[in-house]
Amino acid sequence: MKALVTGANGFLGRHVVSALLARNVELRVLVRPAARIEELNWPDSVEVVRGDLRSSSDLEKAFEGIQLLVHLAAAHDGGEDGVFRAAVVGTERLLAAMARTPCKRLLLASSCSVYDWSRVRGTLDENSPLEPIADLYARDGYSIAKFWQERIVRRFAAEHGWDLTVLRPGNIWGRDHAYLAALGLKLGRFYLVIGPTSRLPMVHVENCADLFALAAVDPRARGDTFNVVDDSEKKWIWTLLGNYFRGAGRRGIRIPIPYRLAYLAVSWAFATVFRRNPTLPHILIPCRFESRLKPLRYTNRRAREVLGWQPPLNYRQCLARTFGEGPAPAPAAPVLIGLEQKIPS
Amino acid sequence: MNTRTALIGAGQIARQHLGCLQGLPGVEVVAVCDLSPSVAECAAERHRIPSWFTDHRAMLRDVRPDVVHVTTPPTSHFRLALDALEAGAHVIVEKPATPTFEELDSLARRARELGRALIEDYNYLFNRAPREILRRIDSGEFGAVVHVEVMICLDILGPSGFADPNSPHPCLSIAGGAIADFLPHLASLAHLFVGPHRRANAVWSKREQSILPYDEFRGLVEAERGTAALAFSASAQPNAFWLRVYGERMQATANLFETRLTFDRLRPGPKPLLPLLNGLEEGKAVRRAAVGTLMRKFKGGPGSYEGLFELMARSYRALAQGSELPIPAQQVIEVNRLVRDLKPKPRSV
Repeated sequence: MKALVTGANGFLGRHVVSALLARNVELRVLVRPAARIEELNWPDSVEVVRGDLRSSSDLEKAFEGIQLLVHLAAAHDGGEDGVFRAAVVGTERLLAAMARTPCKRLLLASSCSVYDWSRVRGTLDENSPLEPIADLYARDGYSIAKFWQERIVRRFAAEHGWDLTVLRPGNIWGRDHAYLAALGLKLGRFYLVIGPTSRLPMVHVENCADLFALAAVDPRARGDTFNVVDDSEKKWIWTLLGNYFRGAGRRGIRIPIPYRLAYLAVSWAFATVFRRNPTLPHILIPCRFESRLKPLRYTNRRAREVLGWQPPLNYRQCLARTFGEGPAPAPAAPVLIGLEQKIPS
Repeated sequence: MNTRTALIGAGQIARQHLGCLQGLPGVEVVAVCDLSPSVAECAAERHRIPSWFTDHRAMLRDVRPDVVHVTTPPTSHFRLALDALEAGAHVIVEKPATPTFEELDSLARRARELGRALIEDYNYLFNRAPREILRRIDSGEFGAVVHVEVMICLDILGPSGFADPNSPHPCLSIAGGAIADFLPHLASLAHLFVGPHRRANAVWSKREQSILPYDEFRGLVEAERGTAALAFSASAQPNAFWLRVYGERMQATANLFETRLTFDRLRPGPKPLLPLLNGLEEGKAVRRAAVGTLMRKFKGGPGSYEGLFELMARSYRALAQGSELPIPAQQVIEVNRLVRDLKPKPRSV
């Protein structure tokens, strides 16, 4: 099988490339014209195609001989419009090109941000409600873009009869991306930890890449949607931040703030002092506050049950690979748990 | 009867236009159009617009709007604005209205022949600060304007905007590159305070490594009622939009990205006290503006786009009443003549 990977040189993409190679998937990667890829040391077998999803006119060529699209490309900066154009317009153009080729299998990197965090109670899983349109545009630009990206991918898949697998990672962390905003609001030496006993939908980048590679090769993933979190989600934010301090060699004073109290204060201020201003910092807008900090539980049960997936790295190993000495470690070797036997023919 | 309005181009600046339009009485946004179906549909869904299109001609034919806003990248403005005029609509076009003066001139001529309005968006003319300076000029307390300085300091070198090396911005194909996108702001403010120009000289240069053809601009203008010094810098920080107007009895300084507006003036009394009294007054105004700018961010609203809201309100009122437009056609021509004369000449590129 030969796959086309977009966003292959990104934080997640470079690990997905390694994980797919480890599963003997032939690869063509699509990277932006000015992207620097020399330090990634991809083997010669990886074909590199340069193009920008927002503007390149010959995206169709990238699909020659391709059976699977692994679509990871997105943007986090450039303002709301820039993020939307990169994630949605880029996807729209890519899929329009794909529709003119024989490729019929697609793996999408969506996000847990597409859920309606205000309505979810208890455990967030694949059956949790998605953000309703009436409330969508109160969310941040990234969440709007990811919602729309998944929306048009599903439309294209339905229209063209493609096999689609959607993966929704939580907060992806790893070397050079160890600090997640939800761990605490940094004010000088102080870190305000809102909901110190809350969990986060954390997934280490190597665990995340492993599930992407498994879903790419396992036919049982077709037509399904999986949240991607690993077992470190069982740790409290308070503990995660402490481990971050130790691992990164930083010092800081953690100040716990009960989630409920903070949420009530934010909601009150938003409705009164700030007159429902949608341009406030995200943390001061109730629905965005919830999507970052709401104390929920997260599960990877569906990936375990359907695909037999087990995160290859436990939390201690994730910490070691994130904060360990020396150069960035190679992505983890995939755990091939009797793959040949487990995949139905 | 409501004025039926449509937008062509549904990106970032269109969102500002829609924000204005949805608060205007008697205005109904009936359609939005963008080359990307997702962008068009998303804008329609978000702003509760009843129809969306990817083909502007189909939109003009099916919806027959009274007013069309052209909010696409400037290289496409001419064709879109012309089609909208031919379809019988008034046109409000984002700046720069066209990449060249010749296109603007022919567009303006066609608008005149068809009896339609062509308004280029000079929103900063309608911010509070320029209006307050104008009020003092009109009242006589400012004295005649001698000189005006306008300088935009804006970091446009970041990788996700004009200087994106992966997907070149359409503005880069216009003479002057990304800075050409800001020239109408500089030129329109100069025109507001010192009138149509007689002569203009410019220096275009490049300080930083990027795909931009230029990242620094300085212009010197001799106009009917005074002189103007215009500038753009991609390196000077922090970001600011300085307007300084020199009158015979008063000098005004404003930052149009914020709410800051201060005045230095001649006062009766002992001369040695003049700097102290002006300094105290300026300090008070700067402190008040700093708090005002912060509160503006917290409370929301148009922010530095306040002038766009004012311009739209006045434009729609004038169109409805058939009265003089806030930006008359002659002003658009004169501003664009100055823009043309400030642009780098082909041989110096």
